[in-house]
Amino acid sequence: MKRLTVDELNLEGQPGSYAGTLMNSSADLVTRACQGEQDAFRLIFDRYSRPIISFLYDLVNDRALAEELTQETFVRAFRSLNTMRRETKLSTWLFGIAKNVARESLRSRAKMNRQVDIEDQSILDLSDQRPEPVDHLLGKELHEVIRRSLAALDEDRRLVFTLKVFHQCSYEEIATITGFSLAKLKTDLHRARAEMRRRIKPYAGVGYEV
Amino acid sequence: MKCEVCLSSLEEYFDGELMSPEADEIASHLVTCSACSEELNSLRATEGLLAQYDREIEISPVLWQQVAAEAFKKSSGRERFNFLAPITAFFATPTFSLATAILILIAVTLGALYLKSNKQKFDKEIAGTAAPSPSPKSNDQDKAQPKPSTLEGAMPERQRSMVAQRTRQTRKSSQSRIDRSDVLSADFGYVDLEDLDTAKHLEQTQNLLRSIRNVRVSELDEEIDVTYDKALSRRLLNENIVLRRDAEMQAKFPTKTLLSDLEPILIDIANLPDQAKPEDVRLIKERVQKTEIVAELLSAGLR
Repeated sequence: MKRLTVDELNLEGQPGSYAGTLMNSSADLVTRACQGEQDAFRLIFDRYSRPIISFLYDLVNDRALAEELTQETFVRAFRSLNTMRRETKLSTWLFGIAKNVARESLRSRAKMNRQVDIEDQSILDLSDQRPEPVDHLLGKELHEVIRRSLAALDEDRRLVFTLKVFHQCSYEEIATITGFSLAKLKTDLHRARAEMRRRIKPYAGVGYEV
Repeated sequence: MKCEVCLSSLEEYFDGELMSPEADEIASHLVTCSACSEELNSLRATEGLLAQYDREIEISPVLWQQVAAEAFKKSSGRERFNFLAPITAFFATPTFSLATAILILIAVTLGALYLKSNKQKFDKEIAGTAAPSPSPKSNDQDKAQPKPSTLEGAMPERQRSMVAQRTRQTRKSSQSRIDRSDVLSADFGYVDLEDLDTAKHLEQTQNLLRSIRNVRVSELDEEIDVTYDKALSRRLLNENIVLRRDAEMQAKFPTKTLLSDLEPILIDIANLPDQAKPEDVRLIKERVQKTEIVAELLSAGLR
């Protein structure tokens, strides 16, 4: 076996902290977890907890709540693993559960008037009137702008946008997860993109007219 | 192709959702039209910026423990019967609520009276047993069996059997608790390593090596897909180097030795081709088994 030295290995840009292995295919893991193998479910958790928590964070914009909802998502997933159809992709199925969990939570929060107000001045201030950002603050500011802009998006648009842009789901997968028609999701995605472009315009690099 | 047609499908083109003839038409239009091409660049630039979005979210080790506790608890005692539910539902029916309330009140009163009379009988029974009349039979029993201690000795047989039954139930319930000794996570055990990063790293490495150790290698397989393991191993190797140096600097020699032992195995996995030969995977698997590195990691976690 050819050996590379440590320095030859390009270690940047590797996937997040998934502890698991592709040697255990998702279908195999699901079958084993259905038979009560806790280790198999642990591997499912390790493989998908990061994308799920990121997705939930994008939807609810609250770190602690995202963690709580991730827990709920995996508990529900474990309890209904037997009902998962064989042809369904595990990630799509999990995102579907996470979406339901997030929606329920958002509904109950809406009752408590804790929804992000789209007309919130602090969010509008982040649009194109801002001065050119200073280089060393760019990264931090950009993350904050993206976070706030996402929170300001309409719920359906935010859902579609997050699945497409951050989780690279296909239109078909998004339709399965959200239950939206193809036409609706295309419209939502287009509008969300336009809104996000408008908000992050000051942060686009030289040579790009966003 | 007109620009309006191109622009209306540009996002789908960018997302790779268009099929061949339409995608080709847009591609050729983009070569000649600078305005549409500029629009595509703008889309790319925005997505490029969005790709930098880092939520700085870490998966807390406690999260899995919470999920496991909740999921496995519910699955072991699945669908626990809610005794209150039918009662509440019954009372929710207005027709029956008043009549039922009266009936229950009567039943409770009768029950209380019965218990009171029964208690008096029971007290008498205890008094009778506490001062037994001396008989040769009872003397023989005393010799044969060790004298029970205080209260238990004063209990009648019925009461004693109830206590024994309750003890058995308690023991049974404590035995039926989920045995988590073999659960991969041993985060609480890692606390004495004084470094959560190291603990997390060791746990992830343990998971990786476990899966390598448990993989079924068949000589009939032409190739085994190890893309994920390879990528994970590279990341862990990177972490391992940093953590080993840290451990060395802070004179944490047991941790340093453990991390040093991990490194060659991680390098081997990282060096595998994406589609590895079964022989190569088997060699690594045997190495993991021989070195008993998983057990070492587990004991480090439990230390």
